[in-house]
Amino acid sequence: MLSVLNRKLLRDTFASLGTLASILLIIGIGIGAFVGLGTAQRNLVESQASYYRAYHFADVWVDLKKAPLSVTERIRSWPEIARLDARVVFDVILDVPDETRPLSARLISTPSVGYDRTLNGIHLVRGSGFSQRRDSEAIISEDFAKARGLDPGDRLHVILNRKRESFVIVGTAISPEYAYMVRGPGDIIPDPEHFGVLYVKERFARDVLGFKDACNQVVCQLTPSAAARPEDLLARLERVLEPFGVLEVVPRKRQASHRFLSDEIDGLGKTATVMPAVFLSVAALALNILMLRLAQRQRAVIGTLKAIGYSDRQVMWHYLSFGVVVGIAGALGGAALGLGMAYAMIETYKSFFSFPGFAFHVYPDLLIWGLVISVGFSILGTFRGVLAVLRLQPAAAMRQNPPERGGAILLERCRWFWRLFGFRTHMAFRSVFRNHFRTATSIFATAVSISIILMALVLFDSFISMIDYQFDAVAHSDLDVGMRDEESLAALFEAQALPGVELAEPLFGLRCDLAHGAASRRMAISGLVEGHRLTTPRRADGAVVDIPPHGLVFSRKLADLLGVDVGDAVRVTPVRGRRQMRRAPIVAITDTFIGLDCYADLRYLSTLVGESLVLNSVQLLVDEPQRAALYRRIKTLPNAQGLSVRAETKRNLERTLVETGRFSIGLMVLFAGAISFGSALNNALIEIGDRLREISTLRVLGYSPAEVAGILIRQNMIIFVLGVLLAGPMGYGLIQLVSQAYDTELFRMPIRIKPEVAGLTALLALLFVLSAQVLVYWQVRKLNWLEGVKVKE
Amino acid sequence: MDRGVQIRVERAARIFRMGDIEVPALVDADLDIRFGEFITILGPSGSGKSTLLNLIGGMDRPTSGHVWHLEEDLAALSDRELTRYRRAHVGFIFQFYNLIPTLTAYENVQAATELAERPLDPGEALELVGLAERCDHFPAQLSGGEQQRVSIARALAKRPTLLLADEPTGALDLPTARTVLALLQALNRERGLSILLITHNPAIASIADRVVRIVSGRVTESLENESPLAANEVTW
Repeated sequence: MLSVLNRKLLRDTFASLGTLASILLIIGIGIGAFVGLGTAQRNLVESQASYYRAYHFADVWVDLKKAPLSVTERIRSWPEIARLDARVVFDVILDVPDETRPLSARLISTPSVGYDRTLNGIHLVRGSGFSQRRDSEAIISEDFAKARGLDPGDRLHVILNRKRESFVIVGTAISPEYAYMVRGPGDIIPDPEHFGVLYVKERFARDVLGFKDACNQVVCQLTPSAAARPEDLLARLERVLEPFGVLEVVPRKRQASHRFLSDEIDGLGKTATVMPAVFLSVAALALNILMLRLAQRQRAVIGTLKAIGYSDRQVMWHYLSFGVVVGIAGALGGAALGLGMAYAMIETYKSFFSFPGFAFHVYPDLLIWGLVISVGFSILGTFRGVLAVLRLQPAAAMRQNPPERGGAILLERCRWFWRLFGFRTHMAFRSVFRNHFRTATSIFATAVSISIILMALVLFDSFISMIDYQFDAVAHSDLDVGMRDEESLAALFEAQALPGVELAEPLFGLRCDLAHGAASRRMAISGLVEGHRLTTPRRADGAVVDIPPHGLVFSRKLADLLGVDVGDAVRVTPVRGRRQMRRAPIVAITDTFIGLDCYADLRYLSTLVGESLVLNSVQLLVDEPQRAALYRRIKTLPNAQGLSVRAETKRNLERTLVETGRFSIGLMVLFAGAISFGSALNNALIEIGDRLREISTLRVLGYSPAEVAGILIRQNMIIFVLGVLLAGPMGYGLIQLVSQAYDTELFRMPIRIKPEVAGLTALLALLFVLSAQVLVYWQVRKLNWLEGVKVKE
Repeated sequence: MDRGVQIRVERAARIFRMGDIEVPALVDADLDIRFGEFITILGPSGSGKSTLLNLIGGMDRPTSGHVWHLEEDLAALSDRELTRYRRAHVGFIFQFYNLIPTLTAYENVQAATELAERPLDPGEALELVGLAERCDHFPAQLSGGEQQRVSIARALAKRPTLLLADEPTGALDLPTARTVLALLQALNRERGLSILLITHNPAIASIADRVVRIVSGRVTESLENESPLAANEVTW
C-alpha cells in the first residue's frame, strides 16, 4: 500500500501541476533532445556501419591519369591491402530523352557479375541488373532516376571518347560511395536532378574509353591495423603510382559522401549533449525556485511532520521524491517527444542520404539514461528546497513566517525615474529586485532563450547571405562547361561561336600541391584571363580583388590552413607533367564560403606547366531565348565532361535550405521559446501563490483581474528587458561558437547580425513571454480571492 | 496518590538571538510533570509558554539547564534522538490543528500511526474523538472543532505518554471548545495520559489538576487545583 506521505506527495504534485507544467515542458524538451538526437544519431551510425560492411566501403581512393593493371596487381599483394579494385571513372555529359539540358554524370566501371560484392558495391533498387544480351547496359543511381523519371528499359546517351554511345538502363541502385550524392568537395548539397552516377560494364568501359588493361582509379580496403594509421601507406601508394599521374589520394575520412555523413553524425552527437544541458540547467534552476517556495509554503506541514516524530531524513526524502516524480514525468514526456523527433529526423535524412535500409531502432539504454539524467537534474533542482526543509527546526516551523523583507530598493533613490511609474509598477520593480536568485534565474532563462532564437535566425540568414555571395557576387556566368582535356585558346573561340553565347571566358583549373612549411593542400588553382568578368573574387566587405599578372590569390581559409598571408611565398607543384616545384608569392586574399579558392592569372598559371595559354573549362553568358539551341550543341561537344548552371545550383541550395531550415529552425525557435514561456509562467504562478493575500486584497478593493495580472505582467516585462540586454553578448558569443564549429574546409558562414534579424528575435521572444501572460491572467481570474483574504498563516 | 515524575524541567533557559540582541524567552524555569497529571500553563502571549512546551516536547533545546524525561536529559540529545523521543512519547495538539491539507482525516491520523510501534487503529482513534463517519473528509471540508478533534486523534493514535496542547481551543467558539476540552479531560482521567495544556485563558486553566503561571519567561507560581472543574462547566 502506498504510504501516507507518498499519497501526500502525489496530491501535492497534482496540486502544483500548473506550475510544474512549465518546468516539465522545459525538462521534456531537454530529454526529448537527448533521446531524439541520440536515437537519430545511433540509427544513422548503425545504418552507416551495416551499409559500409555489407557493401565493402573502401578506405582509400587514388585518382590517376592512367595506370596499367599489372601495377595495381602488384599493389594488391601488399600485406596492408585487404582488397583492391581497379576502376575506370569518368565525368561525362548525359543526354536524356525529352530533356534539352545536358546533364552531368559520373561513369564508373563495374564487373558485370557480382557488382554488389565489389568495393563500394552497388545495391540494386529496381530492375534486373546486367544481362548477357548487350554490352551497353547501365545501372543508374536511384535518386537521379527518380528525379528524372527514368525507369529500367529507358535509354540514355553519353559522349564517350568523342563518340556518342547509347545505353539501356537495366536497373537503379545506390552505393555507400554516394550515400550523400555529391560530386566531391565544393558540392555541399545533392542535386539529383542534374547529377547522377552511371555504372557500366567494366570490359565495355575499358574498350570504349581506351583503358584496355588499365585503370584511372584504384580503390582499396586496408587491413584493420593499416586502416587505423593509413598515412605511411598513402605516401607509399602515391610514390609507387607517381609515374602514372596521381591526381589525388583520398583517404576515407576525406571522401565527400563519408565526410558529410560523419559530420552530420558528429554534429548530432554534440547537439545531443549541449542542448539537453542548456534546457535541463534552466529547468533545474526553475525547479529550485519552485521547491524553495514549496518548502516555505509548507513550513507548518514540515514542522508538524517533524513534531509528530518524522525524522529529518524521512522528511528530506519526502521532498526529494518530489524531484524524482518531476524527473520521471519529464523523462516520460521527453522520451515520447524524442522518439517522435527521431522518427521525423530519420524521415528527413531519407531525402538526403540513401541507405538500403534506414533503420529506426529504439535504444532502451538511451531511454534509461534519459530517465537518469532527468531525475538527476530534477533532484539537483530540489536541492535548495530540501536544504531549507532540513534547516527548519520543528519549533521554528511552528512560529509565524517571518514577514517579507520590506524597505526601499536601490532604484527608488532615483526619484525622477521612480516617479514615472504607478504603484503597480513599483510593486513589480520591488518584487523583481528583492528576489535576487529568482530574478537572476529568470533573466538567465530569458537570455538563453533569446540567444538560441537569435542564433537560429542568424545562421539561417547567414546561409542565405552565403548563397547570394557565392552565386551572385562572385560568380556571374550563366553556364560553365568543363572539358576532359586541356585545350588551346582555339576552344574559347569555338565556345564563343556556339549558339546563344554572348560572352565566353576561359578558365584553367590546375591541380597543384600548395605547400608552406609542413602544411600542404592539393587543390585546383583557377586561372582567370586578364579582364575577366564572369568570376569576380571578393573580400567579405564586397570589394573586388584583382588578379595580378604574377603570384597567387588565396581565400582566407586556405591562407589560414597553410599559415600564410600576403607577401609570403608558397611552394607550388602541379600534379601533372614534369611536376616542377616553383615558389609563388601570395599577392592578395579573398573571402569564400564554400570550399577553398586559389586564383592566378591564366597566363601565369599556364607557364607553371610550361604552356603558353591553356584552358579546361569555359564560362558562358547566354542569350536566354537561345538556351535550348546551346544545350543541344553542348550535348554533341566531344570534349565536354561537365556542365553547371549557376541559377539551378543556387535554386537547389535555396530550396533545400528553406525546406530543411524551416523545420529545424522552426523547432529550435519553438524549443527556445518554451524556455521563455516556461520561465515567465513559473515565475508568475509562484508569485501568485506567494502573494495570494495581496492579490486578494487588491481584488476586494475593486481591482479587475486584468489590473492585478498587470502587476505580474509588468514584472515579467522588466525581466524580459533585462534578459534582452543580457542576450546581446550571450547570443553573440553563442553565434561565434557555432560559426567556429561550422568553419570547415567544406564551407563557412559569413556571420553578420542584421538589425532586422535581431528585431525579429526580440519580437518572437516577446510573443512567447506574452503568451505566458495569457495563462497568468486566466489564473488570476479564476483565483478564489474571497478565500484568499481569509487565509491564515 | 503518589505518582512518579515523568518530566523534570531544571533551571531551563532559552535565549533567542535576533541579530545583535539576545531575547530571553524563558528564564531558569523549574517544573515537574508527574505521570497522569493534567497541567495547564497560564500566561499572556509572549510570556514563554510555547517555548517551555517546545522544550518539553523535544522540539527545541534549552540554552542552559536541563529537561529530564525520566533518566534522559533532552538537552543533551542529538536531533536524531530527539526525533525518536517525540515519536515514542509525545503527542502534539496545535492551535491551528496543523493538519496536512492534502490528506484526508483518516490519512492524517495514519501519518502518525505509520511511525509508532503499537499504535491505535486510525479508525479507532477517530472513533474516540467521535469522527468515525468523517474519516474520508479533507481538512478543508471539516469545521474548526472537527479539525481539532482529528488533530487530537492524530496525537492520540501513537499511544503517547504525554500530550502537549498549545492553545487547543484558541481558534474555537465556546461550545466547540467545551467538547474539545471534555475530550482531553476524559483522555486524562480514563487513559491516564499526562497532559500539558497551554492557554492564556484562566477559565480553561480551572479544569486542570495544577495551574502553572508564567510571566515574562519566569515561572511565577504553581498551584494545585483541589477540585478541577468539569470541562462542560467552563465558560467565558
